[in-house]
Parts: sequence; structure tokens; C-alpha cells
Amino acid sequence: MFKRTMGLLAMIALLFTTACTNSGGDSSSGSSEGSDTLTMWHIETGESEKALEDAVKRFEESHDGVNVKLVRQENDPYKTKLSVAMGGGSPPDVFHSWGGGWLENFVKADQVKDISEDIDTENYLPSALTPAEFDGKNYGAPLAMDIVPVWYNKDMFEEYGLEEPETYEELLSIVETLRSNDIIPFSLANQSKWPGSFYYMYLAERIGGPELFNEAFNREGRGFDDEAYVKAGEKIRELVEMNAFPDGFNGMNFDTGQSRQLMYSEDAAMIIQGNWMLGTTRADMPEFEEKLGFFMFPSIEGGQGSKQDIVGGVSPVFSVSKKTDNPDLAAELVNELTSKETAQQLANDDGAISAVKGVEYEDEYVQEINTVLEEAEYMQTFYDQTLPPEVAEAHLDTTQALFGQSMTPEEAAKEVEAKAKEVLE
Amino acid sequence: MLKKLRQIPLYMLAIILLIFTGLPFLIMVSASFKDQMEFMSSPWAIPEEFSFANYKLLIESDFFRFFFNSVLVSVISVVVVIILAAMASYPLARMKFKLNRPLFLLFLVGMMIPIHTTLIPIFLLTKNLGLYDTIWALPGPYIAFALPVSIVIFTQFLQDLPKELEESAKMDGCGHFRLFWRILFPLLTPAVATVAIYNFIQIWNEFVFALVLTNSEGNATLPLGLREFYGQFSVNVPGIMAALTLASLPLLLVYLVAQEKIVKGIAAGSVKG
Amino acid sequence: MQNSANKLNADDDHVYNPPKPGRLSKPKKSRKKQDFWVIIGFLAPAMVIYALYVIYSIAMTFYYSLFEWTGIDSTLVFKGLENYITLMSDGVFWTSLQNNFLLVGASLFTQLPIGLIMALLLFSPVKGMRFFRSVYFMPFLMSTVAIGILFIYIYDGNFGIINQFLGQIGLESWQRGWLGNEETAIWAVIATVCWQFAPFYMVLFRAAIVGIPEDLYEAADIDGASPRKKFIHITLPLLIPTIITSSILSIIGSLKYFDLIYVMTDGGPNNSTELMATYMYEQTFTNFNMGYGSSISFTMFIIAFIVTAFIVLFDQKRKGAN
Repeated sequence: MFKRTMGLLAMIALLFTTACTNSGGDSSSGSSEGSDTLTMWHIETGESEKALEDAVKRFEESHDGVNVKLVRQENDPYKTKLSVAMGGGSPPDVFHSWGGGWLENFVKADQVKDISEDIDTENYLPSALTPAEFDGKNYGAPLAMDIVPVWYNKDMFEEYGLEEPETYEELLSIVETLRSNDIIPFSLANQSKWPGSFYYMYLAERIGGPELFNEAFNREGRGFDDEAYVKAGEKIRELVEMNAFPDGFNGMNFDTGQSRQLMYSEDAAMIIQGNWMLGTTRADMPEFEEKLGFFMFPSIEGGQGSKQDIVGGVSPVFSVSKKTDNPDLAAELVNELTSKETAQQLANDDGAISAVKGVEYEDEYVQEINTVLEEAEYMQTFYDQTLPPEVAEAHLDTTQALFGQSMTPEEAAKEVEAKAKEVLE
Repeated sequence: MLKKLRQIPLYMLAIILLIFTGLPFLIMVSASFKDQMEFMSSPWAIPEEFSFANYKLLIESDFFRFFFNSVLVSVISVVVVIILAAMASYPLARMKFKLNRPLFLLFLVGMMIPIHTTLIPIFLLTKNLGLYDTIWALPGPYIAFALPVSIVIFTQFLQDLPKELEESAKMDGCGHFRLFWRILFPLLTPAVATVAIYNFIQIWNEFVFALVLTNSEGNATLPLGLREFYGQFSVNVPGIMAALTLASLPLLLVYLVAQEKIVKGIAAGSVKG
Repeated sequence: MQNSANKLNADDDHVYNPPKPGRLSKPKKSRKKQDFWVIIGFLAPAMVIYALYVIYSIAMTFYYSLFEWTGIDSTLVFKGLENYITLMSDGVFWTSLQNNFLLVGASLFTQLPIGLIMALLLFSPVKGMRFFRSVYFMPFLMSTVAIGILFIYIYDGNFGIINQFLGQIGLESWQRGWLGNEETAIWAVIATVCWQFAPFYMVLFRAAIVGIPEDLYEAADIDGASPRKKFIHITLPLLIPTIITSSILSIIGSLKYFDLIYVMTDGGPNNSTELMATYMYEQTFTNFNMGYGSSISFTMFIIAFIVTAFIVLFDQKRKGAN
């Protein structure tokens, strides 16, 4: 008797189970409040969020009866939330991404709409479109770009008679001088793993040239275990052995401010970070801004890369879900979000580098950064955003291990290559 | 005198523990009165001047809306968990039947599954129940996942109560239902207090289900509301500390009330003799 | 809730009014049948909601673990037990399993004893007990986010409070970036986890100690027993059920632990603090291997199940022997 009832309960549970799995993935409840509501997920904060809000306002004014629900997400959890929403069949109509391998996963899963016909590619910088371009089709429109210079403390450089380096040798001698004065040469918070990746990308590019990564990524020519990558690893080792980084840097977190703190307290003199460093400094410690200078990562003697080549990325990129009830409206919203007007506002108020053509810069720093970008011969997009997630993880993990000296340059290069072979071929 | 001397090591131990347990809370509160600049330059020091800017920011934001949502969800979930778990524990603790231990184990397994794998199934379930993006999406999983711990605690306490209670009740012609609610449940006060504290805190701070099962700002709970302070590349640490200081006050209140209950519950329970 | 036993004879105002059994004269069989409905009645409400969310999720986890699936598309490729076979030769998984067992050990042998000591202190003749009681509990009521951020700073190699303290007492050679070092990171996080959870066990033990009848101690006092004797002969034996319950909670909790690792180290450096749950999370949501991630979850489930079943059965035997 008892067993029978338990069996019945189990049956009910099972029925629920099947009912739930079968009906998954048929409608977009992200926009369930009526057919003319668009839901949009983004991760912008402060002034750049304001720019998006204004763009949405313009969109709602020009589209009578359409209502846009703009929802801000927190950077890290956002990725989980989007995955679950996509897997559960309720994605937002328009969503943020960084292009690259992460977006490509959703494209492969047939979750992203091809918007080649909806956007005018002429409006954007070509290099900014590439990260969201797969098989010659556009799956996202970019709004802004980031580049990674070497930031330094101008006062401290003056104090120790240092100048912006032209060659890697000069950079190394700066490191030595600073170290001998008990200054931490580079502040680095590498718990988050991506800050250490900047070093690896720059060193590899400077040694192996701009085509190195593309060859490895496209599986034609050199691989991730190429000599250039091994050498880049050795140079990282050398820096670690020179004591170029703070104590315990592999456990420090960039977001909570541990590496910036060392810059502000003048315990450290340099930091390799994206141009967002400027915005975060203005929020953390405004008076530090005037001490902040930057130069590009120097070239390495005998290497194939030039000082002109930069590491950078595109963010935000806006894409449209395939499951949206209003594909045309959603695409139009993307156009408004990446209009020249939005980009201009973002540049003025947030100091962002635009991915949209024809934007003029007011801010002195941003002008300088933009000049660097214009003079750049090649832009290396962030490995961790370009590569498929699994290979990206392998790259980040091995780089962190390199910095921690628990892996040799050869081992690290081999492990990434093995993962790349498995996933990319 | 000798007795007093003997108490010295006791006091020393008590005070060392006091520092260990209390200091981080103090640091949190003290950081909440700084601005980002001051926190960056001296994270540990007592604030030079107590700035209420972070709290002002909170009051101006939707903080109280999140706060209200959190209170609603937590209170409902905790009350339901206490009732359901206490009831379920009664046969498990005090009745003999074949499936007793297997059922007990079945209730235990809920603790063993990591929350994150359940996200997609529960997302689908919530959607199909029509609860997605309402705060009613949350009590379901909160209650279900709180049941195991609560049942373990209740069962153990129930097992320790003397057998004579039932026998005398049965003599008086008292049914199981009345026996449980009128006689056993009041004696469970320490367990109820423990279960309430534990679950209230877990649910109050729960993040992942709230992240995935709600979407609109209006349905966000407190842990989600913290995103106000997260930039793309930086975290406003003092702001978060202010929010979390405020958020911890109700928990402290629940704890103190529940602890008082234990004392009173025992006083009442001792009548049983 | 304050009802005491003397309410026993109060009028029955409940809706549910069981048929009054005709005392003792009732045939045995129908008594059993009646018991059956009582069991169902008490268990069903909890069981329904539990089955709906929990049992269902566990079943789905096992189901997904048999497939290769990204979690974001609709193509599930059946792989049988292949995910589990891959898992067995996955070095990171073994590292994380080992870390989980470190955490289990630390919880059992640090968290519980500290919790017990704190609970006992609350019964000692220390003045201002109420104040101590409140402060001791604070770690458990702080949110994990706050704890994570604060301890990242506390362990910081350059500004951290621990290094400052070590510097002051002349132990400069011990200073390091605690979370950045592969050897120390896992211990630093485990210490934080124990710090956070010990107060919960304090509450649990306190509730149990409070339930020990006063007259037992009075009798011991008459015999002139020392406090230590009273603890060993009265308190400790009566606490054994609570100790077993606490052990179950802390073992299972440690086996599926996630939160602080995620906030403080994200499994690094070089996977040295990876736990099964954080590894599962990385596989599921960073690498889009929902199938593989589910197989990690289900393996965690099996491990926890075996350990717990063992304790429960052992506990039953112990009770049988008494």
C-alpha cells in the first residue's frame, strides 16, 4: 500500500519532468509582456549606461507603441544568466557580447540572428566588425573599442630619471632600476587571469609578428606551441624572476582594486591595462589622473612585431536573438544603440573609443588613445575573447601557471596547442 | 578569589574569539563610511570622517524595494519550511515503518546536488509554472532546497524527546495531529529557532536562483541589488559594504529573537518534567 | 509556540479530527492502516514540493550527464557513460576532489570543535554573555560577498592585515600573498570557510545543550563532580546525536562547497583551489559543456550519498546497540 502511494508520487514527479522538458524552448518569454516590448540585456554602468538609456529613448520616440525594457546585468553572472536563458528558450531580444568565441558558441547553437542585411557595415570601423563576423555574416554591431597600453606614473619616472622605452631592453632596464629602488615595477592582479594574458599576447606578437595568432587560430602554419610562444613564456618567467610583480599577484583581484591600489599608493610604477584604467581611476582616485601617462608595449629586437601593433578588443557588441518575436524591431534597436549619436555621447561622457566612424573626441587622453588606434598597423583582439571558451580557458590557466612558475613555457604552449587541436580542428 | 583567577583563561579565550569573529564585521561597517579613495589608501583604518554618502546613495536607489522583496520571499519561505519540515520529521523520528530510513535518506539527497546544475531544469520548471520573472518564482526552490537540512535537524531533536509523551497522550485519546502540534512542536523551540536562523540567512543571501529566475528590476532581491555597485572592471567596495551592513541588520534581529525564544522555550518546556 | 504540556486537555479546535481510537480494543490491522495515512499525511506536503524541485533536478542532472550538450542549443548527442570515463582521467577533477576532502577534514576537525567550544563558553560564568553570543554569530550572518571581498584584502600580500600583523611581531619571513601562492591559497580559503560556518555549529550545539535536563547536573553537583567530569560524563554523551547531525551537515556542505572559492580565487592559482563544484561551474557555464558538467555534479552526488548513507546506517546501528 505504502509502496503504491510512493510510486504514484514518483509518477507525478515524472510527469512533471517530461511535461517540462518537452515544452522547453518554444517561446521567448523574455518579451512576454506583449508583442511590442523588447527586452535588452547589457552590462554598462554609469555614463555609458546613460548613453544606452538615451538611445532607447530615441528609439521609443521614433517607434510609436514600442516599449524597450533595458536590464542591466553584472559582468560575471551575466554570462551564466544568458546561458541559462538561452538554454531555457527565453533569451532577451537584444543582448550584449564581446564578439569572438563566446558569441560564436551562441551562433553555432543557432541562437543569434544574422543581421548582415539589417546594419550598414559602412558605418563601423572594419576591425571592430570582425569579432562578430562568422562565415562572412554579421552577428553583432559594435559600439566601442578598447586598447591596452602600458600605463605609468609620470612623477615616479621623473624621480628615477626614466623615459618611455622604445625597446624591450629599455623596458627591462626600467624594471631593474625600479626594483633596485624598492618599487614594484608592474602592478598586476592576476587572480582574474586576463590581466596576465596581456603580457603573453604582447610578447608573443612582438616576437612572432601579427600573423602568429591568426595562423594558430585558423590552424594554418604556426601553432600555439610555436617557438614564439615558448619564447614569450620565457620572457614572462624572466620578469617573474626579476621580481617585476607584487607579492602574491596571482591571488589579487583587479575588480576589487588590489592592483590599482598599488599604483595609487605609488608602491608600483607601471601597469598593463585596458583604456578603462582611465575611467576606473577617475572613479577611485581622481587626483591620480594627472600622474598617469601611457606608452605602447615596446618592440623586441629580432622580433617580427612592431611597437605600432596593439592588443585590444571590442565591447559592447549588440546582437539579436533568433527567438525574438520582433526580429525587425530588434535589429532597428541595435542600429539605434550603435548609432553615431550614441557613440558620440559615449565618447564625450565616458571617454570611450568609438567603433563607429565619424566620432570626434573632446578628451585629451581619448584623443591620444585614438591616435594610437589610428596609427596601429594591426590589432590583436584579446585571446580570451577571440578563442572558443575551452581554448580560452586553457590559455588563461596556463598563462597564470606560467606566472606562478608552476609550468614551464614549453608545457604551457603544448597544453594550449593540444586543446586548440581538439576544439578547432 | 581563587574562583575568579580560574576564570581568567576563560575570559581570554572568550575575548580572542570575540576579536576573531567580530573584527571583519567591524571592518565592513567602517569601510561603509569611506569613499572609494579613502578605502583604497587605507582599507583598515577607522574612517577619518564618517561619510554617509554611500547610505544616501542606497536610500536614493531601489534598495528598499529589493529589501522588501527579500523580506517577503525569506519570511514566506522560512515559515513554510518550518511547518513542512517539522511535519515530515514527525513520522521519520517517532514512527516505525519499513521505509523510514530510505525516506530519510531520500530527503537527505537534496543537500548533495550542487545548485548550479539544477539551474536549467528549474528555469524550465519555473517558466512552465508561469512564475518566471515574478518573485513567486523564488519560494519554491528555496523551500525545496531548505527542506533537507531542516528535516535533519528536526528529526534529531524529535528523536531525543522522551517516548512517554506519546504514550500519555494516546491514553488521553489524543490523535497524531494534535499530539504533534500541541505537545511535540512546542518542545521543539530550540530546533525551530535553529532552523529559522539557518534558513533565513541562506535565503536572504541567496544569489543564483534569484539571478536566473527573475529579470525585472522590480522583482530583484537584495543580493541582486548589489549590482548597482559593480562596474564592468571595478567594484565600489565601500558602497557594497554599506549595502551589506544594512542588509545584515534584519539577520541580526532574527538571530537575537530566535535565541531569546530558545531560552523561553526551555523555560516553558521544563514544565514537562 | 509556547504551549506546554498542560494544554493537553484543551478543547480541540483543529479542523483535522481523527477518529477517536477505541483505546486498546482496536484491532491491530486497522491501527496499522491508520498509521499509514498518518505517515502520508505528515510527509506528503513536504514530499510534493521536494519531488517537484529537487528529485526532478537530480533526475535531469543524471539525464544530461549521459549526453554531449552545450546547454544552449537543442542538439543532445547521446554518449552513454563516456562523460564519466573522461572524468576519471581528468587531472583537474582529481585535484578538486582532493581539495574537497581537505575541506571535509578541516570542517570536521576545526569547524565543529570551535563551534562546540563557543557554545560551551556561552554557558560558562562569563559576564556579558548576551553580547558575546551576538558577536560570535556575526561571521555567519555576513554575506559571502562581503566576506569574500574583505578576506581578499585581509590576505593581500602588500596591504593585508595578516602581513602587517606578522611584520609587527617580527615574522617578516612569513609574509606572503596568501591567495596568490599555490601552497597557501587552499588553506587560506579553508580557514575563511571554517570561520564563516563555525558559528552555525555553535547555534546547533547551544540548542542541544540547552535541552539537557538541569537535574542531571544537579545530581552530579551533589556527587561533587568537577566541571570536566560533568562535561565528559553528561554533556558529551548527550551531545552525540547533535555531533552526528552536524557531521552529516558539514560533510555534505563541504563536498558541494562553492561560494567563497568562487569569490576569492575562482579555483586558482593554477587550479590549486579548485573544488568539484567550481570545476563543474566552469565546465558548464564557461566552457559550455553542460553534459560534462552534469556528470561532475552527479559524481559529487554519488560521493556525498555514499558517505552519508554510511553515517546514517552506522548511526542506526549505534542506536540499536544502545
